[in-house]
Amino acid sequence: MDTLNILLVGFISIVIINNLVLTKFLGICPFLGVSARIDMAFGMGLAVTFVVTLSGTLTWLIDHLFLIPLGLEVTRYVCFILVIAGAVQLVEMYVRKFFGGLYESFGIFLPLITTNCAILGLCLFINLWGIDNLLEAAVLSFGAGVGFTMAICIMAGIRENLNLADVPECLKGAPITLITAGLLTLAFMGFAGMIK
Amino acid sequence: MTDPPDKKPGLYTGTFSAGLWRENPVFRLLLGMCPTLAVTAAVKPALTMGLSVIFVLLCSNIVVSLIRKLLKPHLRILMFTLTISTFVTIADLFLKAFLPRMSETLGPYVPLIIVNCIIICRSESCASRNGLAVSVIDAMGMGAGFTLTLCVLAAVREVLASGRVFEVRVLPETFVPWNAMGMPVGAFITLGLLLGLVNVVTGKRA
Amino acid sequence: MHKIGHFLRQSWLLMVCSFCFGILIALAGAAWSPRIEQNRIDKLNRLMGGLLPGAARFESAAQVEVESARGKLLESDVYRAVDPEGETDGWVFNAVGSGFADKIELVVAVGPDLETIKGFDCLASNETPGFGDRIKNAYFREQFEGAPAGGLTLAKTGDAHSIDDKIVAITGATVSSRAVVDIINMYIGPVTKHIKSME
Repeated sequence: MDTLNILLVGFISIVIINNLVLTKFLGICPFLGVSARIDMAFGMGLAVTFVVTLSGTLTWLIDHLFLIPLGLEVTRYVCFILVIAGAVQLVEMYVRKFFGGLYESFGIFLPLITTNCAILGLCLFINLWGIDNLLEAAVLSFGAGVGFTMAICIMAGIRENLNLADVPECLKGAPITLITAGLLTLAFMGFAGMIK
Repeated sequence: MTDPPDKKPGLYTGTFSAGLWRENPVFRLLLGMCPTLAVTAAVKPALTMGLSVIFVLLCSNIVVSLIRKLLKPHLRILMFTLTISTFVTIADLFLKAFLPRMSETLGPYVPLIIVNCIIICRSESCASRNGLAVSVIDAMGMGAGFTLTLCVLAAVREVLASGRVFEVRVLPETFVPWNAMGMPVGAFITLGLLLGLVNVVTGKRA
Repeated sequence: MHKIGHFLRQSWLLMVCSFCFGILIALAGAAWSPRIEQNRIDKLNRLMGGLLPGAARFESAAQVEVESARGKLLESDVYRAVDPEGETDGWVFNAVGSGFADKIELVVAVGPDLETIKGFDCLASNETPGFGDRIKNAYFREQFEGAPAGGLTLAKTGDAHSIDDKIVAITGATVSSRAVVDIINMYIGPVTKHIKSME
């Protein structure tokens, strides 16, 4: 019961309170670029969730089974990024072969995800927070993906409405998106301190 | 094997100034947003981050430019990633050894230089196609542009959030600090407004 | 065989580069890791020295296991502060807990009698600048100097200058203030008990 409690609290904390996009500034590039329409945003979010869950668990495994026991922590960054790149490649091939329809909807985003800071950032944060069991790492990775999807979909919804609003010429596009994101961050700050 | 020296001296200054303003990575190409927002709470971390990026950009551009004739097309992204992550590891170790307080402030954003789109984009579009000299100048220009942007953003945020720039007091004690500037809110809004300002200055229609 | 030849032809550059980069990283790591380790030790010594200025050096004394509120087992490193005459000047231990925004890591010092707190310092925290960040300020930290070791309570108003077990919270940073009090309360019991059982 206690483990479940810890996992649930960790999940909620990373989705809402420590949301990767809005509090840790990860994944801003796709957040700005892909959030123009809700269906694209959702597709991107799904792809990211898929990859980040896989990468989070894989990098945790590699870190604890190879790097730390063998004292190779200096090579951590190189290993992590190669694992992530490899995982993305594998996921793309697998999805293209077996889930053709799915590939149509979010497959094009997959190669973009390798340079998504959210993935590498999450793997490094899991390392930084000293997570010491596999289940917690997996749940946190999944939560990070869900948080990203939520943030990007909220942004997409707002942007679709912004298209109908009277935005000054110089602020159209990236600037107004950033300002909106700032206000979203302010709103989410209200959740902080929710979990002791 | 190096290219023959370019006849047009304008190429070098042109490449450098492109990185600084015309193709400024943050304001015009909208690359490298994550560190821009994360480390610009004060000027010192911003400067440190900018210098680290210049180092990594320079080294990786040099290496990629030297081996560009030997690259196999379908393995080149892997090569770039490997090169960049090596130099980022070295930069991170350097910071931890010689600037421990900065390393703590920057935290996990130093290894995130690996996925900073600026570096991989420059490797792909410039270093893998041009000679050593042009790659070096391009790295310096882009790096300088990025550092300048970071410092401008950081200066605005730091002055408003604490009345100091580079830890030197510039506003009178009676100024009530805008704490929001030190938080994510301030980062997003300041960058958005600065981008809008750049759009006005360059007369860009979105 | 033909496949291996093809594979080698395609990837020889990759393998050579990986090898060279590996050597480069290993060299950098070997050259600088003693310095990195020294930085870490220096930082700890500086913080501990700030809390117990009379101490000449700090010896690692024990590792104590503390159970957190959620049942997680955390480890605390306890150091004995030794003054120039070789007497115990006090004890220092590190304490970790969750604050408003992120983890808070503290370094806490208790007197040699294990009855009073000598003070605390922040190893790492990510609290809101201007609000929770003020737990690092003298106003808040001075309230802990001389406070009884254990049973601290947080009050919203009160006399910050009276040294007792009531700690006045920072206005606008109740959660961060409570976090510090809770962390110290959580660790001080098991640590002092362990030290007493050691002697």
